[in-house]
Amino acid sequence: MPKTIVIDPVTRLEGHLRAEVTVDTMNGENQVADAKIAGTLFRGIEQMLIGRDPWDAAQLTQRICGVCPVPHGVVAATALEKAAGSNIPDNARILRNLVMGANFMQSHILHFYQMSLLDFIKGPQMPPWQPQWKSDQRIKEADSIRLNKHYVTAIKAFRQVNEMTAIFSGRQPHAPALVPGGFTTVPTNEKIDLFRQYSQTVIDFVKNTYLPDVDFVASQFPEYNRIGKGYGNLIAFGAFDLNGSGGKSFFRGGRKMEGNGQTQPLNIDAVSEHVTSSWYENSTSKSHPVRSTTQPVYPKEGAYSWIKAPRYENQAFETGPLARMSINGFYNQGVSVHDRHKARALETLKLAEALPVWLDEINVGSPVYSSYSAPTEAASFAIAEAPRGALGHWIGITNSKIAHYQVLTPTCWNASPQDDDQQPGPMEKALLGTPVQDPDNPIEVLRVIHSFDPCLGCAVHMCRITQR
Amino acid sequence: MMQISRRSFLQYCTIASASLGLGPAELIKLSQALAESKASSVLWIQGSGCSGCTTSFLNYISPLPPVDAADVLISLNLQYHPTLSGGAGRSVVETINAAENFILIIEGSIPTAFDGHTCISWSDNGQDIPFVQAARTLAAKANQVVAIGTCAAYGGICAMGSNPTQAKGVSEALGIKPINISGCPPHPDWIVGTLLKLFMGETIPLDNEDRPLFIYGQRVCDQCPFHRRGEARSYGVNGLCMEAMNCQGRSTNAPCPTLKWNNGVNWCMAAGSPCLGCTEPTFPSSGPVRGRGRGGQGRGFGRRGA
Repeated sequence: MPKTIVIDPVTRLEGHLRAEVTVDTMNGENQVADAKIAGTLFRGIEQMLIGRDPWDAAQLTQRICGVCPVPHGVVAATALEKAAGSNIPDNARILRNLVMGANFMQSHILHFYQMSLLDFIKGPQMPPWQPQWKSDQRIKEADSIRLNKHYVTAIKAFRQVNEMTAIFSGRQPHAPALVPGGFTTVPTNEKIDLFRQYSQTVIDFVKNTYLPDVDFVASQFPEYNRIGKGYGNLIAFGAFDLNGSGGKSFFRGGRKMEGNGQTQPLNIDAVSEHVTSSWYENSTSKSHPVRSTTQPVYPKEGAYSWIKAPRYENQAFETGPLARMSINGFYNQGVSVHDRHKARALETLKLAEALPVWLDEINVGSPVYSSYSAPTEAASFAIAEAPRGALGHWIGITNSKIAHYQVLTPTCWNASPQDDDQQPGPMEKALLGTPVQDPDNPIEVLRVIHSFDPCLGCAVHMCRITQR
Repeated sequence: MMQISRRSFLQYCTIASASLGLGPAELIKLSQALAESKASSVLWIQGSGCSGCTTSFLNYISPLPPVDAADVLISLNLQYHPTLSGGAGRSVVETINAAENFILIIEGSIPTAFDGHTCISWSDNGQDIPFVQAARTLAAKANQVVAIGTCAAYGGICAMGSNPTQAKGVSEALGIKPINISGCPPHPDWIVGTLLKLFMGETIPLDNEDRPLFIYGQRVCDQCPFHRRGEARSYGVNGLCMEAMNCQGRSTNAPCPTLKWNNGVNWCMAAGSPCLGCTEPTFPSSGPVRGRGRGGQGRGFGRRGA
């Protein structure tokens, strides 16, 4: 008999997420036969930015996410600079890369230890870690205790990376130093040295603790090298400009289709958004909504999420560290729960080792800011990567005020509901076929969901894209 | 984790007593309170927000034990936290429903449009429980409600401008008087310091905005080392007064200049960034939060009493 299970709240993520799965017996085992993922928070930050001074965008959009504020600030500032046709000093580009790279690292560390690990091990024997779902805790007691200690070490590493970021960003979370025109903190040799010391600490943690722990969990749960694949379509917008002209970046953007190992170029105009399953007014669904208004409608027949469904050429894509690493040829395994964890950990190391190199490129004494004036009328956008994947901000300025603001976040892609062509979202698709031992404690469902590192704070916006 | 004891937390309290204003008698009171089986537990719930207050709390650091947030978490008997709880779904809802004798921490604002359905806390017996309903029910049972962050305290970012979800702070949405630990985000010391005093059963004197005076008793400007130290008129210059760049330090109460952030490595104005006024009820005011760097914005734009 098929059984429908509601997991609400799905804990250990940012924001509010509900999962509804139907478990049925297939091929002699209980498997997920249907899955619906719902974002259950809507804030409307873009709408609330309308009428504000364009300068505010680089500060206020950071409040979309308290875990990954930096990419929002950087992308907003970049969109504003593009709107005005202005450039930033090279020091500002480097400093933004440094604080954004560090912000990725803290997000990845928090995700593996605080959000995912308890899906695989017995956690500390006290609240809030208990009560815990009891199913399938096959890791030995001694190993669990070791990993529990690493849980604590990871909180320390997380904090240290935030301190490292704040050396330049001013404070974490919500970095005050990000402004259109450049950066506000003036780098000194003292700050650079301190940043470098922190870097080494983080490299050690990632090499000696994080990566081995990811491999250990994979060795204990080898079936998760196959479970949770989903579509296998990957998309990235690219990030970390390595020169002032924007000609070279640390991660280039692109996409990969399942069954085709080639990275294909990206055409941002091929992105559209579907809202039939989302609590928004339908009239502009499945299109480039140049001037569409995104109106919340609740209740709405057939809708079950506050997240929209972004699609590329009307197909569903997964975004995140695995997509970035794979598209750039830095990760050549498959797509699964463990591949997501492994690619995320390898990316953390890759960034941790890149930061000291970028640090050397800072020119102490050279400017970090060049005078910026926001245009009175403009339309602009910028795309990059957040820890969880492809990120874009679109801005329209009229009479020196923000007239349009739209944010497309990674979790919109990953946790999207069914689209207008009845294609499930990537996370929903990845859940299909997942074996479930005990339908009353479907820990397997959490493993798949958490592998995407969903951030509902980010996702639940009006993900409308306004094209020029 | 199991190795971290309540004792190390108390050891910390001894060390931190100067900064938190705890005398020896109070410390004895605190250790007795925490040792008692009747001591309050803590429920931490999230409404409409960005989880930045949780991130900030996890950045908590002290030079001596407890070294970080993990130690504090254990000591405070945290029964539920959406970002940290081991369980999910029905099991955590049961924990929350069964809770008694607890301090309720609310992070994020409370949306009220669409009968609160833009923010669902959890599902209980097949019913979606909007955050406004969850917060109201739990607040009525709580020994004390603490609103963490400017969204929970006053609506903040989630209630700015057109406010399509009609988001409100705890006080306005529920008609109660919480202790407000404002800030976008609040400093981890403010959160931990307030909880300690609550555990000791201390009365916490509050200012007109219901914030603890021991945290928000002084204007940023009055403590700022850059005050009147030459005037910055552009970004990219550090160590000067930024009053001409829309700095909100004059109308903002917070100890940032003396406390600093992230283990003391930096803070907004040391980074050449004017104060955004993020601890104030008016944040983010309808005026610009960020100066243009041309000295023409004036100060205290759109602020209460400015």
